Amino acid sequence: MISVRDLTYAYPLTPTAALWNVTFDVPAGQFCALVGANQSGKSTLCYALSGFIPHFYHGTLSGEVSVAGLDVPATPLAQLAGTVGLVFQNPFNQITGARMTVRGEAAFGLENMGVPRSEMLVRADETLALVGLSGLADRSPMQLSGGQQQRLALASMIVMRPQVLILDEPTSQLDPIGTKEVFAALARLVASGGATVILVEHKLEWVAEFADRVIALAGGQLVADGPPREVLNAPEVVASGVGQTRYARAAALARARGLVQPDAALPVTLNQASEFFAPRSLDEYIP
Amino acid sequence: MTSSFSLYAPRDSGYHRLHPLTKLAISGAILIGGLGLGGTWPAFAVFVLIVVPLALWSRALRSLLRAIWPIALPFAISLFLIRGFIWPGGTPILTLGPVSLKAEGIEFALAAVGRIVAMVSAFLLLSLTTPPDALMLALTERGFPPMIAYIVLTTIQIVPRFQARAATILDAQRSRGLETEGSLPRRLRALLPLVVPLILSSIVDIEERAIALEARAFSRVGVKTSLLTLNDTSIQRVARWLILAVPLILIALRFALEIAA
Repeated sequence: MISVRDLTYAYPLTPTAALWNVTFDVPAGQFCALVGANQSGKSTLCYALSGFIPHFYHGTLSGEVSVAGLDVPATPLAQLAGTVGLVFQNPFNQITGARMTVRGEAAFGLENMGVPRSEMLVRADETLALVGLSGLADRSPMQLSGGQQQRLALASMIVMRPQVLILDEPTSQLDPIGTKEVFAALARLVASGGATVILVEHKLEWVAEFADRVIALAGGQLVADGPPREVLNAPEVVASGVGQTRYARAAALARARGLVQPDAALPVTLNQASEFFAPRSLDEYIP
Repeated sequence: MTSSFSLYAPRDSGYHRLHPLTKLAISGAILIGGLGLGGTWPAFAVFVLIVVPLALWSRALRSLLRAIWPIALPFAISLFLIRGFIWPGGTPILTLGPVSLKAEGIEFALAAVGRIVAMVSAFLLLSLTTPPDALMLALTERGFPPMIAYIVLTTIQIVPRFQARAATILDAQRSRGLETEGSLPRRLRALLPLVVPLILSSIVDIEERAIALEARAFSRVGVKTSLLTLNDTSIQRVARWLILAVPLILIALRFALEIAA
């Protein structure tokens, strides 16, 4: 579904590249998380996958980026729009304000694509239900809370049925409740067998819970790629400034104090943690 | 904080259900009639005989009157004072020491106030009863550029947010010790640390807004559809032109009568 080959990119007027020789593939239907410290190139990669690099930001790009069979640098943004969806940090800036109701805002992309009204109505209401905004469909989008606006931004993309959905720190400006609401909506999307998802997220517990796979970036280069438990506990990833899940930190502490087997792999989710801390036999507690 | 800069309030009335272009034509006719008929009283007649009954029909009379006063009253007071007392020559009605109130001045002021009332009420009648998105849709359906329709609608919705942000910046800078009260030079000096963050943050916003729009296929060429639908009737389609023709015919008649006399 996504194929990136030797992608190197520098923003205009900058001497150093924001991405260096990045290569990876993502199969259809995979939920892939991108982690990395600030300035590691995560957002740049998001823009490169959705075509805003090079079409919007220009700069110098080399290598290949192909999404859903489209050669991204060679395809105009207007044509990529229905195929690749992008949700980013600021909830308010993603509300176009072009329509006066939540339902209208959700359907705006479909209007631009020329989808017939009857179909548009069904799809908009379905998607609002998916993100849990059905009750607010006739309200003004400006009256929503940050978490609700971010779910509306998500709905506005999902409604266009993109083959690839890119989420660039969708919860960074939200409180814990808003974060939970966005991830709950995402969970319903994944359960419904929706799109291939690329998620940039600093809240590692959520990444571990959702992602099939984690790609770690540092200084514009790909440093690790694999299952969440492996990548999120990899020393070079932890050291690059990404940090570690609270489960892994607690487990590491327990391991350092000799409370568990020294070779036990650190957990990254609650389920793994409960397994990690569960006594296998009474002997473990008897010195 | 209001959610929208628009005056529109949904009410259940036949006037609200008219096609936006019909309401636009009515307001246009009020404007043409109020400004074009000349004399002192026609503008008031337009207000009393046309605007007030329509506002009653649309159940928006109270909101309309409430919105007219703050705009028309300051104009009226200054016009009566300035034009009433400072009028070269003319017939004095009342003399107060060196100045005197002139009949011609009062008449001029009255005519001007009538035009302002007609103009403002034409605008208010339209905006109180027509949702901005419906009006924009009606216009884009007839070839009005969608880009401008987008700008109008977004502005209406974003201005309150912009005001809220300005208030946040004001609070933030005050908490850092910026003095925003006192003498005029001090107030002027305080302006820069308030305006610069507001403009810079808005520029960053514009970039993100452009991306959000592109991601919704806004720049796609080809047929676009609309979720919103408008009810139009053939009667209204004809009526719109007739409504616009009425004040023009009246103005033409008036001129013809003047020439004949």
